[in-house]
Amino acid sequence: MPNQVVHVIDDDADVRQSLAFLLSTAGLAVRVHDSATSFLQVLPEVHDGCVVTDIRMPGMDGLQLQRRLAELKPGLPVIVITGHGDVALAVDAMKAGAIDFIEKPFDDETLLTAIRAALARDARDSAREAQLAAIRTRLQALSEREREVLQGLVSGKANKVIAYNLGISARTVEVYRANVMTKMQADSLSELVRMVLSVGDAS
Amino acid sequence: MARPSQPAATAELTAASEASVGSAGPSAIAQALEAAEARLRSIMQTVPDAMIIIDDKGCIESLSATAERLFGYEQGEIAGRSINVLMPTPYREQHDAYMQRYLSTGERRIIGIGRIVVGQRKDGSTFPMHLTVCELRSGERHHFTGFIRDLTDQQLTESRLKELQSEVTHMSRYTALGEMASTLAHEINQPLTAISNYLKGTQRLLQRMQGDDAAILRDAVGKAADQALRAGHIIRRLREFVSRGESERLIESLPKLIEDASTLALVGARENAVAVAFRLDPQANLVLADRIQIQQVLVNLIRNAIEAMIEVETPRRLEIATVAGSDGLVEVTVADSGAGLAQEVARNLFQPFTTTKRKGMGLGLSICRTIVEAHGGRIWADARPAGGTVFHFTLRTAAEGEEAGDA
Repeated sequence: MPNQVVHVIDDDADVRQSLAFLLSTAGLAVRVHDSATSFLQVLPEVHDGCVVTDIRMPGMDGLQLQRRLAELKPGLPVIVITGHGDVALAVDAMKAGAIDFIEKPFDDETLLTAIRAALARDARDSAREAQLAAIRTRLQALSEREREVLQGLVSGKANKVIAYNLGISARTVEVYRANVMTKMQADSLSELVRMVLSVGDAS
Repeated sequence: MARPSQPAATAELTAASEASVGSAGPSAIAQALEAAEARLRSIMQTVPDAMIIIDDKGCIESLSATAERLFGYEQGEIAGRSINVLMPTPYREQHDAYMQRYLSTGERRIIGIGRIVVGQRKDGSTFPMHLTVCELRSGERHHFTGFIRDLTDQQLTESRLKELQSEVTHMSRYTALGEMASTLAHEINQPLTAISNYLKGTQRLLQRMQGDDAAILRDAVGKAADQALRAGHIIRRLREFVSRGESERLIESLPKLIEDASTLALVGARENAVAVAFRLDPQANLVLADRIQIQQVLVNLIRNAIEAMIEVETPRRLEIATVAGSDGLVEVTVADSGAGLAQEVARNLFQPFTTTKRKGMGLGLSICRTIVEAHGGRIWADARPAGGTVFHFTLRTAAEGEEAGDA
């Protein structure tokens, strides 16, 4: 995905800049942040990409940041780098869902491999998220009556039953059903059901 | 068993006869004498303290049952002998002279004052004891009663305390070394990381360039980057060597750890009028810890807390508390009622070489953090609502859900 940005968070300016240099030579878009707090401030503008954060920083540390991100932007992949390769810290970071835990100084390929994996995961998630967003938009475009028919279809009711429940004719239900299929861009009933279930809500 | 020999009984007799003479005949006097003797005998038999009565020549007249047990002599074998058999050389030789000096000058060195001296048992072994001497005068005769408290246990406690202290001191030196190595590793790793990143980035750029020189440069830059990594590995190994050292995590009782550490750290706290309160959660019992390292953390935090309160006049309250968390961690807090932390100090509190003390390396809290983090816990500080500072740290419990393989 072309809009992906690697966000580097490290309180050491030299490490931060050298990372930005390295990653940009590898063709990646980079933004640097000098603290967890300053990154959280711009978080609303962060969309696609991943995070590379140091653990030991004054104020909020890398692990705390990781936990905050899990609440605020779940799915944004995090890679943790540290000058202190403590086993316990690594375990904590991985348990909290880090993609990787890398000790400084590191081989560039080690970091780049981790970053590429993170971006791939983020892209997958983003694509999926985009799909879900599209389905939600389509659902919203349905009329009240169409939504009622859709609910009936998703709960596996036959046209006649839906017609009876809504107090309309079976033919009318068929018309609504065709409209729903078109608006939802579904090729089959099963696809329609899958779409609705994927967003977890038919209303 | 304790048979007061004649002179002591005579002293009693004198007292008894003074009270009753004149109003009673000789048989009444004899009765009073007998009663007084029986009274003294029963006192000597039952008094829980070690008690010895001597005459003005220093000869033992009687001793309590406790004194018999303490020194290993029986009344019968020691009555009439000089008190100096109960003390080791050189006091043994000097004792008679002490008594002489007192009797002729009246200058008190021990009488009514009490001091710590060394006693000697029948088997020749010696022990520390606290001795108070009272004088008993009846007519021309002097008697002296010695009250003895065996200090062996107390001294044992003190030597145990010293032992603990030296363990922790040794450990803190050791950890200070580890912390130096660790800090050094961190500080050097940062520039090494930057060097390696720049070189590797440059190597990538050179890959896109043409020509023989570009190839040579690419090769040289790549090799330079490898050297930076190599330096990093050396430092990492040094750090592992120092920090892994003797650290051994076992299942320990947290209340016991706190008790030992506070005994150590609170030496002298009462003199500074610090009121100490413990609020220990019974659920927070067994933890996975290196005993000496965690004691070191506690001693550091408690000492810091006491030092923070020395300068304030308000009531000095120290509270040590534990709380069991639901996530397999227990939280230990050490709270003081000191002046609190200045903003800029609070920010770098756990960084090495941060200190507010005139003499101090500023490694204490940094070491605490290294230890706590190596234990899989976290350490932090915040302000106490009523003023003062609270330090918190967490430890993993050993009770359940213990993970194999990462200790």
